Amino acid sequence: MAVYRRNYRPYSGTQTPEWSRFLVLFRYSRRNLFQSKVQTGFFVLCFLWPIVCLVMIYLAHRASFLAKLGVPSELISIDNMFFFRFMSVQGVLAFLMTAFAGPGLISPDLANGALPLYFCRPLSRAEYVLGKSSVLGILLSQITWIPGVILFAIQVSFAGPKWAWNNLWIAGSLVVASLIWIAILSLLAMALSAWVKWRIVAGALLLAVMFFGAGFAQAIDAVMRTDSGHFLDLGYLMWAVWIGLFKVDAENSISAFPASIALLVYCSICLLLLMRKVRAYEVVR
Amino acid sequence: MSDRIIFEDVSKFYGEILGVNRVNLSIPPGITSLVGPNGSGKTTLMNLMTGLVKPSRGRIEVLGHPTNDPENLFKFVGYSTQFDAFPKGLTGFQFIYAYLCLSGMPLQDAERTAWQAIERVNMVDAASRKVAAYSKGMRQRIRLAQALAHNPKVLVLDEPLNGLDPLARSEMIALFRASAAEGCYVIISSHILHEVDVISDQVILLSNGYVVAEGQIQSVRSEIQEHPTQILIRCDRPRELAAKLFESEYTIEASIHNDGRGLLLKTRDADRFYLAMNQLALNGVQIESIAPADDDVLSVYEYLIGNEEVVR
Repeated sequence: MAVYRRNYRPYSGTQTPEWSRFLVLFRYSRRNLFQSKVQTGFFVLCFLWPIVCLVMIYLAHRASFLAKLGVPSELISIDNMFFFRFMSVQGVLAFLMTAFAGPGLISPDLANGALPLYFCRPLSRAEYVLGKSSVLGILLSQITWIPGVILFAIQVSFAGPKWAWNNLWIAGSLVVASLIWIAILSLLAMALSAWVKWRIVAGALLLAVMFFGAGFAQAIDAVMRTDSGHFLDLGYLMWAVWIGLFKVDAENSISAFPASIALLVYCSICLLLLMRKVRAYEVVR
Repeated sequence: MSDRIIFEDVSKFYGEILGVNRVNLSIPPGITSLVGPNGSGKTTLMNLMTGLVKPSRGRIEVLGHPTNDPENLFKFVGYSTQFDAFPKGLTGFQFIYAYLCLSGMPLQDAERTAWQAIERVNMVDAASRKVAAYSKGMRQRIRLAQALAHNPKVLVLDEPLNGLDPLARSEMIALFRASAAEGCYVIISSHILHEVDVISDQVILLSNGYVVAEGQIQSVRSEIQEHPTQILIRCDRPRELAAKLFESEYTIEASIHNDGRGLLLKTRDADRFYLAMNQLALNGVQIESIAPADDDVLSVYEYLIGNEEVVR
């Protein structure tokens, strides 16, 4: 073996900025994610509905073409309801994407005992979580608010500045609604991924939290004759917030504000769970 | 700024379980071995030293830096854990490269430095294969490469010789010695006592979370009073020599060596014994050699801790 006979010299080159270190984790996690063909295929599939919406926007501004087809032009209306429907579909796809991608973020590191390796570098636990969650954050942004804002911009290009000025709040709602959903999904997926070392079980648990949560909430509502059970249903809470954000007329038993508070509480619980588990060494009690 | 690794009254409890208790150490440059049975606190001490766990009480400083400042600490500290810990799916090169990037090296520097580290542990041919396909010895070496890749001044290695074949062991030991000769701090934990004995400048003996001895092994041995010092004498007339030695009050046991040309002796006072030997040598007994028989790590370990889990 080549043992270098030299006096000790520390590394004296330049250093990358401290804030950018989490991007190393992002790079590797994203690469791992797209090694799966199913994952890549599903990601492509997530752009189907935005393309349909794009065609609808185009057709909405081509009244003569619609007339030729015998479709009344009032049938396609580009308003808050249109973007709410866009968001609802993309929200479901974002959830399914999270169920695919989320559990594989932290659980392999835990299962392989790799966390001490990360933390014997200048990387804090918060930066580790940030690096891993940024994968989901950017991935889900690509299928929620980014295509949403692009569709809004295309609609503006057809409808003109007056429409843009009157409906600018819709773009804001698109971004805020997406970011809340992304935060909830990312934190939930990572907390489950951190507590369950098996990737498949973590994925199943994420689906269970959503679907059993909804079922449990309905059971509580039915048995106890109350609406409070919906606080256990993450999907319903998010829907309630979206209804408020998009100013949609729909019946819901929880208004946007208490639903937002409940979501905030869920986010905090997920963060606590994450910080308790993401440690260099497990604390034995 | 201090040039030592300092533990001041450090204790670490995991809930009600004791990790280490009231540890006071001042570790100089060179190779320092942590020796003790499983659960004695070796890994806890290393984790404390690298800031991976926080002490419940006390203060730790590594070359003048507190351990709660990872940005500065890990510029000059490299750590190789004892567990087979690897992120999934990486090749040997990617493994080193990714962690150098995490350390803050720009991409080009990281690539060059990663190859240098891989070369140092003789893994160039296997660097493009996935770590998951490595043998135990190769995994040990690539883990060592990631610890020393950024050229740290303090190298903390938990069981670094486990799983290595004899050739790889001697290569690694040469590497540790080279680092120590450069003025680095190489902290090693090991169960393989005869290797610890050969490579260490100083040892720290741990038992049940307490430091039971520290320092150079000979000076530790000389402080153990309750066990008589054993001395092996090679001479032409061992029976005659034994009879003469028994005349002194400090010789408590003597046995003739199997080949009839040596004597294993136990004495309570090694200094006075050596003086007496000078006299005997002058009186015509042909003495070939006199060597202490129990001032190695193994003996000290057995005296202070017991003979459980000793690997000879």
